[in-house]
Amino acid sequence: MALDKLYQQVILDHNRSPRHYGRLEGATHSARGHDALCGDDILVELRVADGKIQEAAFSGEACAITTASASMLMDWLVGRSRSEVALEHAHFAQLLDDPELPDRPELGAINHLRAVSGFPARVRNTLLPWRATLQALERQQ
Amino acid sequence: MDIVESKVKDQLDVFALREQFPVLARRVHDEKPLVYFDNAATAQRPLKVIEAMDDFYRRYNANVHRGVHQLSVEASEQFELARDSVRRLLNADSVREVVFTRGTTEAVNLVAQAYLRPRLEEGDEILITHMEHHSNIVPWQMLCEQTGAVLKVAPINRQGELLVEELASMINERTKLIGMVHVSNALGTINPVEEVCRIAKKHDVPVLVDGAQATPHMAVDVQALGCDFYCISAHKMYGPTGIGALWARESILEDMPPWQGGGEMITRVSFEGTTYNDLPHKFEAGTPNISGAIGFGKAVEFLEETGYEGIVWQEERLLEYATERMQAIDGLEIIGTAKHKGPVVSFTLEGAHPNDIGTIVDHYGVAIRTGHHCAMPVMQFFDVPATARVSFAPYNIRNEIDIFLEALGKARDMLA
Ligand SMILES: Cc1ncc(COP(=O)(O)O)c(C=O)c1O
Repeated sequence: MALDKLYQQVILDHNRSPRHYGRLEGATHSARGHDALCGDDILVELRVADGKIQEAAFSGEACAITTASASMLMDWLVGRSRSEVALEHAHFAQLLDDPELPDRPELGAINHLRAVSGFPARVRNTLLPWRATLQALERQQ
Repeated sequence: MDIVESKVKDQLDVFALREQFPVLARRVHDEKPLVYFDNAATAQRPLKVIEAMDDFYRRYNANVHRGVHQLSVEASEQFELARDSVRRLLNADSVREVVFTRGTTEAVNLVAQAYLRPRLEEGDEILITHMEHHSNIVPWQMLCEQTGAVLKVAPINRQGELLVEELASMINERTKLIGMVHVSNALGTINPVEEVCRIAKKHDVPVLVDGAQATPHMAVDVQALGCDFYCISAHKMYGPTGIGALWARESILEDMPPWQGGGEMITRVSFEGTTYNDLPHKFEAGTPNISGAIGFGKAVEFLEETGYEGIVWQEERLLEYATERMQAIDGLEIIGTAKHKGPVVSFTLEGAHPNDIGTIVDHYGVAIRTGHHCAMPVMQFFDVPATARVSFAPYNIRNEIDIFLEALGKARDMLA
C-alpha cells in the first residue's frame, strides 16, 4: 500500500531520530525553510570551505516527511559543492514527478523519498529542505 | 409539548439528507467510503443546488438585466429571486440591502474600500479580534497602509473566547469600525455578536460581522444582531463557490460611493458624467455570477427545508461525541474549547505533525484540513505551527467519527 511506502521504516527512522539535527556552530551559510501553510519551519545551517560543504545541520519543527527529507539531505550534503546540490535538486524534483524513472544512484538513500510522488500534496514538504539549502548557498553569512 | 415529542420534532433524518448529496456516495483510495470532515473549508452541494445551476445553463442561460428576450427575462427573474432568498436568510428588510459579491472576502474588501476608506483619517482605529480569518485582517491592514489608520486587536482567552470587556475598553473616539467573526473557522467559537453590537452602538461605532461560518449552522437575523455589515459565502452553506453577499443597512449603502466601475452599476453614462444605478446594483459592476447566484438561492431554500433545528440537533450530537472521544486520547489537545461552539474540532497530537495526520487519515478515506486555517494569529496565540481540524455538517454521522478515530489511531501508531 502506498501509505506504507511513504511512511516506510527508513523514513520514519529519520523522523524519529533525525541526523545532523541541531544548531551548527561556525556555520558560514544559513537559510530558513518556512511553509506557513503546513506549519513546517526549519533552519538549515552549513559550513562551507574550499568550495565544499564541510558540515550541515538543520533545526526547527516540521512534519515527518520534511524532517526525514532534511535529515537525509544533511547526510548527503557533506562534501558536495553548490553546483552539485543544484544539479541533484533538479534531478530529484524530476524523480518526484515521474515514478517511471529509475532511481538515481548519486542520491543514495534519498531515493526512498520517491514514495512521495504518490502524494502530490506532500511534494512541497520533501523539497523544502532542498530549497532552504540552495537559498543558504546563495547567500554569504 | 413533552420532551420526547420535541426531540422527535428537532430530529433530522440524516440518511434521507445524505441522499441529497451525491458526492457522499463516493469511494476514495481503494473503495473506502468518503468521510468528508472538511466542511468548514467548503461544504458539499445538494442536488437541489447542482440541478438548479445545471438547469440555468441548459434552459435559460442569458445575461441579466439587459435583454428584452425571454431567456434574459427568465435569468434576471431567477437572479433576483435568489437575492430575495438571501434577504430571507438574513432577515433583512429589503433586497436593496443585499449585494452579491464573490464571497465573504470580497464583501469585507468592499466595506473597507467603499465605506471606511473615505471616512478614515490618520491615527483612526479599526478594531478586530485575535481570532479573525485572514480575510477579516488583511483588508484592514491594507486600508491602514493606505490611510495611516491603526489596527487594534481585541484579545481572546485560552479557551478561544473573545474577551468582550477588553474589547469594550479598547473602543474610543478614534475607533471607526469593529470587525468580528461570528463563528471562528479555526476554533469553532461562537462569538456574542449581539452583545458587542450593543456596546458598539453606545459609542456609535459600526460593526462588520464575518458570517462565513455562521449561516451554515444557525439562523442569522441581522436586525436582531444589531450589526451594520454582514458578510457571507455561499460555498460554506451548501451553495457554489465564487458567490456570496454583503448585507448592509440601506442608509449606509446609499451613502457609500460605488466600489468598482463598469456595466450594471450605472443608469446613464456619457463623457460628461455618469449616474450610478440604484441599490444594490450600484455595487455590482460587470456581468455577475448568474449561475452562482441561482445556486446560492437554492442553497438558502435547502437550509430552509432542512431546518436549522434539525441541523443544530445533528451537529451538536456530532460535536459532543467527537469532543468526548477525542478528549480521551492521550497527548491529544483540542485547540478551541469555548462554551459556545460550532461543529469544529481543531487539535494537535503529540508526536504526530498535522500534515502527517492529514495524509494518513486521508488514506482511510477521511478528508480533514491541516495547517493554519487562514488564521495564523490564532496559531501564534496557541503557539502551535499548525493544527488538524475536523468540521462537521448535518449529513455527517457518528459512524464516520468512529472511522476517523480509528484512522487517527493508525496515524499515531505509524508515527510513534
Ligand atoms: C470565518 C471565515 N471568514 C472568511 C472566510 C473567507 O471566505 P471566502 O474565501 O469564501 O471569501 C472563511 C473561509 O475560508 C471563513 O472560514
